[in-house]
This record gives sequence, structure tokens and C-alpha cells, in this order.
Amino acid sequence: MGWLHGICYRWRGFLRRRRLERSLEDELQFHLEMKALRNREAGMSPEEAMNAAQRQFGNTVRWKETMRDMWSLRLLESLLQDLHYARRSLLKSPGFAAAAILVLALGIGSVTAIFSLLNAVVLHSLPFQNPERLVLLWGNVQRQKIERRGNSYPDYLDWKAQSTSFEGMAAYSDTSFNLTGVPESERFAGEWVSAGYFELLGVAPIAGRTIATSDDAIGGSNTVVLLSEGLWQRRFGSDPGILGKQLQFNGGLFTVIGITPAWFRGLNDNAEVWAPFTASASATGLAQRGSRGFPAVAKLRQGVLLQQAQAELDGISKRLEQSYPGTNAKRAVEVAPLKNELVGELRTPLFVLLGAVGFVLLIACANVSNLLLARSEARRQEIAIRIALGAGRGRIFRQLVTESIALSLTGAASGLLLASWFVRILSDASPITMPTFIKPAPDWKVAAFAAGVSILVGVFVVLVPAYQAGHQSPCEGLKDSGARSGDGLARRRFRGALVIAEVALALPLLVGAGLLMRSFQNLSAVHPGFDPNGVLTLSAALPGGPVAPAQPQATPTPNQRAVVTGRQLLERLRALPAVVSASVSSDIPLGSNSSAIFYSAEGQSITDAQTIPRAYVHQITPEFFATVGAQLQMGRSFSEAEMEGSANVVVVTDNLTKRFWPGQDPLGKRIKPGGPTSTNPWWTIIGVVHEMNYRGLPENPTADPDIFLPFSDGQRRVAVMLRTSRDPSALAAAARGAAREIDPSITIFEVTTLSEQVGRAIERSRFAGWMMTVFAGLALTLAAVGLYGVIAYTVRRQTREIGVRIALGASRSDVVAMVVRKGMVLVLTGIVIGLIAALALTRLLHTLLFEVSEVDPPTFLGVALALAVVALVACYLPARRAARIDPVIALRYE
Amino acid sequence: MQKKNRQDKTQEEILRGTLDMMILKTLARGPLHGYSIMERIHQVSEDVLQVEEGALYQALHRLELRGLLQSEWGISENNRRAKFYRLTAEGRAHLEHVARRWDKVSAAISRIMRTA
Repeated sequence: MGWLHGICYRWRGFLRRRRLERSLEDELQFHLEMKALRNREAGMSPEEAMNAAQRQFGNTVRWKETMRDMWSLRLLESLLQDLHYARRSLLKSPGFAAAAILVLALGIGSVTAIFSLLNAVVLHSLPFQNPERLVLLWGNVQRQKIERRGNSYPDYLDWKAQSTSFEGMAAYSDTSFNLTGVPESERFAGEWVSAGYFELLGVAPIAGRTIATSDDAIGGSNTVVLLSEGLWQRRFGSDPGILGKQLQFNGGLFTVIGITPAWFRGLNDNAEVWAPFTASASATGLAQRGSRGFPAVAKLRQGVLLQQAQAELDGISKRLEQSYPGTNAKRAVEVAPLKNELVGELRTPLFVLLGAVGFVLLIACANVSNLLLARSEARRQEIAIRIALGAGRGRIFRQLVTESIALSLTGAASGLLLASWFVRILSDASPITMPTFIKPAPDWKVAAFAAGVSILVGVFVVLVPAYQAGHQSPCEGLKDSGARSGDGLARRRFRGALVIAEVALALPLLVGAGLLMRSFQNLSAVHPGFDPNGVLTLSAALPGGPVAPAQPQATPTPNQRAVVTGRQLLERLRALPAVVSASVSSDIPLGSNSSAIFYSAEGQSITDAQTIPRAYVHQITPEFFATVGAQLQMGRSFSEAEMEGSANVVVVTDNLTKRFWPGQDPLGKRIKPGGPTSTNPWWTIIGVVHEMNYRGLPENPTADPDIFLPFSDGQRRVAVMLRTSRDPSALAAAARGAAREIDPSITIFEVTTLSEQVGRAIERSRFAGWMMTVFAGLALTLAAVGLYGVIAYTVRRQTREIGVRIALGASRSDVVAMVVRKGMVLVLTGIVIGLIAALALTRLLHTLLFEVSEVDPPTFLGVALALAVVALVACYLPARRAARIDPVIALRYE
Repeated sequence: MQKKNRQDKTQEEILRGTLDMMILKTLARGPLHGYSIMERIHQVSEDVLQVEEGALYQALHRLELRGLLQSEWGISENNRRAKFYRLTAEGRAHLEHVARRWDKVSAAISRIMRTA
């Protein structure tokens, strides 16, 4: 209790320092007067009485000092003094202060920005219940390599029933819901989810209830739906009466049972509508064990390790493989931590960037350290006087450190502003989409990080300058007029080391940026096999009866109830002005919406499970190849007559024909869906196109060929491509209008251009290169400025020496050569060290590079050369000034 | 400050404790200012105990920081502004505790001095 009391008093004493001072003063004064009074009563003269009183008391100043210390926080008080002094001395040299703060703000700001991203992505946990125990289950298949395929409903049910590692398991798959039967139809992203999905994630509805097991029974008659809070507000004005109402989605009726909180967008992070998984397909569709395509989320039981769950599921997969060899051969399950799935791909780039900005910060530190060194030399006299007056070296050191920390904290404060601005730009510009529930807002961790870094930086940059200042002899300092003719060896060495360090740090960053930019160039140069320029693409949901969910089927059954067909839409859109050619297809290049079939080639040899031929199927109209800009190598596209269904013709990419008929004329050869024994009709190859990057850039996710079949009307979701002679995006409004004229209930979505699609596929690489370039540019600028500063300062210190040389007959070019040579020796040393460091570090970029070696010699040499040129300029400018020194003035310089 | 060996330190603590106890005891009868506390100790001890003045004030402030005393500015007997110290409840309890211990120890010591 007593100590608490004491701390309160001490605080009060500290806060009311003046009053405390006066109170101590008064109390002692009273005591002395009383004492003098007694002395006078004993017969002393008034003066004598007071003197005696003081003599008896002893040193009043010392006693007061002890008591003041007792009452106050001594360390804090001397810190305040130091800060006060630092503020005054910094205000006296605003140029120095501004330069140092700016450099520190850039360094600390960049590091803090990247850290706050890292903090949001890596350190924060997902906003779900027990997020560390959540995993995704992905069905996979062993082919040339293991490929993820998703799960089938029967497999999922078996895993769920037979496993004991999990607390719960829920299937989910992304889909879209077309809201119709209302004045303005709209399409929403949504998810089919098993009962228990929301409970597993710990997401409670803000109104109503979640999906119950009875809602999720196969063949259930009552279909229910949950809406997101955002959708509920936007479309229904937050009407509480919505619960229990029926809405028409995709032509079917769904009863609204609950509203989910606004922050939750499903595991696919775009959903606004949720319906029971069993409503996603017919009972027969769900019963197909071979029809796979969705993941499942599961929660590990408390204490169960990922490996144990994996081992258990491996066992179950083996049993299923034995029971159902037809569908489950080589099939297994991968248990993947949810967090890795959601943000794992961001980790490597963020850590690489953190490393990069760490280098930037170190360069900034070197610059500030050099500034402080120059400053401490300019203050030699002042410091010498303080030492001579009895200030301890420790006190001087503490003063300098306080000043430096004050600088770095100010820098950090500006850096935090810079960082929050930077993070905003970064997350806006980032093609790597962050999950919406991750908000890289600065929190206390970021602030603590910035403060910690700046204090470290503050101490780090001042160590050498302060050490040197503290160890000067006061006599030397006092004699010094402030601009000495020579320069101390230790200081010169330290400056040289700073230059070497800055160059050596900047180089790996520049190399990294160079490699990433080259990688991006290579990516941009990849010819995708089609011509993306001038093509508008859009998707349309056509009105009609309920649609069957997308199943990987070769020939979707025509839907008789469709009111508008894709080809009707096409005719209308082709008539738009400036449209050169147009096509309707099941999907567009890079639209990640295509599915694969197994097929057999006529006359092929028997294959095993890993080499069963598989192809991605796209349905197209005749003008497709002209519209997309793909050249037919051989043969022709479909005729209008062949669009009518039973033509059994196919166009294939050349990797298919090369596999089965190398060196032969592929036209007229035949393939068919299914195995060699299937009874499906043969499709005759009528055309061959060069292999395309239809499903991914720079490479398709799998090496399978793409095959093209005539477009069959009756599909509900179609993709349209319009090649135009004008800016394709200018056509978007006209296309929407035309669709609305045919039927207002047609929903148009995913309106984009083909070049945007291509841009999106390589924009991660562009972004990584761009980011690295920004930081490398920053590093280069800081290093060049630092180099310039050091050389200019050295020249100034050597004014007299240079003056003497000139007076003795050295030519101006001799002087320039001398200064530049001195600088460039340091720079070249730095470049060599930097190259070695870069060789070791660029390996980390491996996963981010495309067709560039991590040790690409042109990049390394080019960057080294560029850096050397910049350094040369930075050395030449002060050298030229040195050459202009007038020896007469220089010799009087002291 | 010079370094002290352990024995010196212990002695100083004993002395300080004794001074504290005497101050508390002196204040037990009612509030006093620093000067009269000093006078009172002189008188009662019949001039045997001379308290160092600086040490007295240091002790007063220390006791106040520990919450055993409370201070207040008031008017002295000769009409001057003076700082008066008063025992808090906590101070009174502490005084009883140390006084009891002191009685025990001093009785023991005097027994030894008498018999041994």
C-alpha cells in the first residue's frame, strides 16, 4: 500500500514541480527563521543569528535536492530536459532536421506499410470460431502430378460418416442466383452449403435461423435461402417481414429463413445468397460419385493434428478406391489449413517486400547516420565546452541519443501517415485480392512496431557519431574553430563504410526489381494463341425455367423452356455498329469457367488411369475463331448447318493431334467422349487450331488440349464476344441496351474486355515488379543522395588540402579525378559486395519469376552499370565544385 | 554517493527506523511543524538526542510518502506560515506496531545489560 501511495505522490510531485519547489523552499525557510529567532533570544545579533542557523543546518541546497528527488521522478525529469534541449537545438538547424526526418519518414513509413499488410494477412487470425482448427478438404487425383479436383457428394458423405477427426464437415460450392419475378432482375454470387456450414464457422444470423439438417435433405420439397445483410438492405430496405417470404431464384421458389451479418461473404468471399447444398442438383446428379467439383470445410476436433486427419482420410480414400474402382481410382483427399487457402499466396510476396523495405530502411539509416556525424563534428566546440564544464560522457551520450530518438520518432510519426496512405494505394492497386474480412488498418501492433523500429533506428544511427563526440578531448575541441583542415581517420573510415553499405544494400533491390520487370516483360510477350485487343466480352443469364446446375457434361440437355436463346442474343448484338465479328460460347478465354471430359481417340492404345485423355470442352458459334483472333492451322470452323446438333464435328487444338496422330493429317480423324468402349458417337475433326492459353497465362493449369463443339442453344448462361473496330469498352452500354430490348429479364454480367482478362492473368507479376521498382527506386535515390552528401562533405573538409594542391600546381582535372577516384573506389567495393549479396538473395524470388533465371547475367550487369553511372554523377558534382576552389580563399579558410 | 558496506547500511537503517519512530511518537499527541518536532525531541530526551535537521526533514517527507503522515500548511504560534504534520490512521497503527517491538527489544537488551 505504502509504495502505491508513494507513486501517486511522486506523480503529483512531478506534475507540480514548481509548487513542490516552492513548498520545500518555504518549509526550510520557516525552520531557519525559527532557529534564528531562538538564537536572537539567546542574545545573538539578527545577522549572526541567521548565519548560525544556516551553519547548523548545513548545505540547504543539497538537502533540498535529496528531498526533491524523493518527491519526483528523476529520470523522467532529466529526459524532459534532454528533450527540451533537443527540440531547441534541432529548431536551430531546421535544414538538417527536415532532411533527417524526411529520410527517416520514408524508411520507417515503407517498413510500417508492408508490416501492416503482413500484420493483417499473417498475424491476424481469421474472423471465424477456432480458425486454427478449420481446414478445407480437396479431392485430388494422381495423374502426371497430383491435381485438385474437388469432391463428389457421395464421397463427401462417406468421409463425413467414416471419419472421427472432425467436429463437423460441410460441403460448399460457389454458384450464382438470378433473382427474377421482381421489377429488376439481378444476379448475385452465392453458395450452396451443407447444413452446419454457418455453425462450423461460428457465423450467427442477425435474424432468423441457419440451414437445418432437415432443409438439407436430398429430395426435400421446401427450399430455403439465407440473404446477406447487405443484400437485404439494398434490395429489400431491411424489411423485417422478409423472413418467411418466398423469392424466385433461378426460376425456383426459395423461402427466406435468415439474414447473415454484413461482414460474412462466405468462404468464397463474394457470396450474398446461401441455399442448402442438396438443392444444387437433382437427386440423381448428387448421387454421381464421379461428378466432382466442390471443396468441403471441416473443423478438426480439439487436439487432433492435421497429419492425423490426413492419415485417417487417406485410409478412407483407400477403402473407397477398393469399393468404387471405376470412379475412385487414384483418388485421395488433401487436408489444407483454411488460412493457407485464403491468404497463403500472399505470404511470399509480402515477406519479399518486407525484406526489400528493410534494405530501404537500412539505407535511410546510413544517410541519417552520416548527417548526424557531420552535425556532431559541427558541434565539437559546444560539446567540448559541456565536457569542460563537467558534463559526464554518459550524459553527453544520453543527450545525443535522446536527440536522435526524437528525430526518429518524429520521422516515424510522419512515416505512419505515409504508411496509411501507402497501404491504401497498395490495397487499391493490388491485383492480389485480399479477403474482404482482412482490413490492413493500422492497429496498436503496427503503431508499436513503428515506435519500436524508430527507437532502434534512433539508437542505431547515433552510435558511432555519439561515441566519437564523447571521446574527443575537450582541449582539441575548444581549439577547433569549427572547420578544421583535416578529417579524422576514424571518421573518414566510418563515412567510407557508410557509402559502401548504401551501395551494397541498394544493389540487390535493383537486381530484384530488374528481374521482376524482365519476368513481367516475358509474360507480356507470351502470345496466348488469340488476339485479345478490341474484343468486348460479357456473360448473360437468359430467362427461362429452372436451370440444372453446372455439371461437367459433354452435351448439356437443351432446356425447352428457354424463352431467349443464345443465338437470338448473338444476332441482335452482331447488328450493333462497329462490330466486326461476334460469337456466343459456353465460356471465354481466361474466364475460368470451362470443364473437362474424358475422351478416346480412334485407334489409340489402351491407357491407364493417369493417362486417360482428357480435354476441356468449349461450345462455340462459327465466328468464334475469327472473333477471338485465333488462326486455324488446318481445316475450317463450323458451318451454320453444323450448328443444328447432330453434326458430330469438332475443332481441336494441335496438342491433341500431335499426341495421337503425329505427322499425319488429322482432318477426318475421330474422337469420342468417354472410354474406348463407350457407345457415344464419334466426333470428326474438321479443324485444328494452335494450342491456346485458354485457361491460364502464362501456362494452362493442365496440359490437356481444348476442343470446340458447336454451340447448342438452351444453355442458360452464355458468354458473348464482340470484336470491334473501336474501343471495345465503349460498346458495353449498347450491348446491355440491346439485350434489354430483347427481354428485360436477361441479366448481363461480367462485362469486360479480352485484353483486361489477359491483363488480370499477368497483373500479379506486373504488380510485384512495379512494387519492387518503387522500393528499388527509393533505395537508389537515398543511396545517391547519401553518396553525394558524403563526397560533398569530404570535399568541404578538405578545402584547404585541395587549395594547397592547386596552389602547388595541380590542374583542375587532377582534382576532379582525385575526388571521383576516391568516391568510386568505395562505390565499386559496394557494388561487388552488393552483387554477391544479390546472388544469394534473388533465389527468394524464384517463385515470382517467369522465364528469367535468378542469376540472369544481363540484369546483374545492367543494374551494376546503372548504379555505377548514378554514383559517378553523385561523385562528379562535388568534385567539380572542388575543382573550382580558389587556392587563395582556401588557404585563408581557417 | 559513496558506497557503504553492509554493516554501515544496517546501522543506518536502524537509526533511520528509530528516528521515524520518535517522530511518529512525538506527533501522536497532535499536529506539529518540523521545528517544534525537533525541539520536542531535544526537550524530552533532555538534550541527549540531537537530531540532524536535514535528516529530520528527509524523514518527515519519507513518512509522508509512505502515507504515515499528512501535511498541511497552517499558522505557527508566532503567526508565520508553517507546514504542520499530522499522524494518519495508518501512521498510528504503524507507531503501535513499532513501539511494541521496541519495548520488547529494549527490555531484552536492558535485561542482558543488567544480568550479564
